[in-house]
Amino acid sequence: MSKPEYVYVIYIQTTPEKVWRALQDPEMTKDYWGRRTNRSDWQQGSPWRHESYDDSSDIAVAGTVVESKPPRRLVITWARPDDVSKPEKTSRVAFDIEDAFGAVKLTVTHSELDAEMLRAISGGWPAILSSLKTMLETGAAMPMTQRSWKG
Amino acid sequence: MHKPEFVYVTYIETTPEKLWQALTDGHFTERYWFGYRFDSSLKIGTPTALGKDGKVTDEGVVIECDPPKRLVYTWHPLYDPELAKETPSRVSYDLVQHGDHVKLTVTHAGFPEASKVLPSIATGWPLVLSSLKSFLESGRPLPLSVMQS
Repeated sequence: MSKPEYVYVIYIQTTPEKVWRALQDPEMTKDYWGRRTNRSDWQQGSPWRHESYDDSSDIAVAGTVVESKPPRRLVITWARPDDVSKPEKTSRVAFDIEDAFGAVKLTVTHSELDAEMLRAISGGWPAILSSLKTMLETGAAMPMTQRSWKG
Repeated sequence: MHKPEFVYVTYIETTPEKLWQALTDGHFTERYWFGYRFDSSLKIGTPTALGKDGKVTDEGVVIECDPPKRLVYTWHPLYDPELAKETPSRVSYDLVQHGDHVKLTVTHAGFPEASKVLPSIATGWPLVLSSLKSFLESGRPLPLSVMQS
């Protein structure tokens, strides 16, 4: 039995470079990703942390950069901080950024999930990616993602 | 047993009433649905028709209608003989207001085993719903060329 996979596709009227930057720039992630940031040097093999913008000791998710091909493909591992060394608790997120008819097609594939993580991320990705699109198209992220939330 | 279905959730800065109109009024759908009009009286048991340039590509029947919260209709593609052979599937729109935005869930279900319609609609809905969100938030839907190539 293979582990569940979650896929979300969204089209954004912007450039691949802006989507790439938005995934990593703390000033942008804090607005569309619940006042959180993704910290790393983004080199293949480097660690990354998903931490609070206001308190860097508050880390919700951590992992390793598996693949980094700006501005087209970013692959990271994804685990709760206490589970980073447990392969069975580590999932994987791929961001694929393609040109599609004058817009950008962003595909987020979250794979190798267990049931608990599948539940957690299935609620999160649509909200985060909806707000990312709003931010890149209108200049301001959705208020619902500009504050921190639990989960 | 897990039944194959497609679920897409998107959050849109709008009101349930505006989103409802955008989903059900053909004058609006053709603006963001790449020229396609959705025509329906929205009365339960009456037909729906999705089409472009006067040609109906998908037909259905209204099953449930509770404006501006929930619409359910059947989905039967006509534009391809292979797809037209399948039994109709079912589309649900669920709209929930959260303060200044609306959570829209589109659930497309009721497919037979090895459905050919399912992969087709799984490609189409993210395009249509991304364009809908742009249309309501910025007034600029995705470019028409999307569905022409």
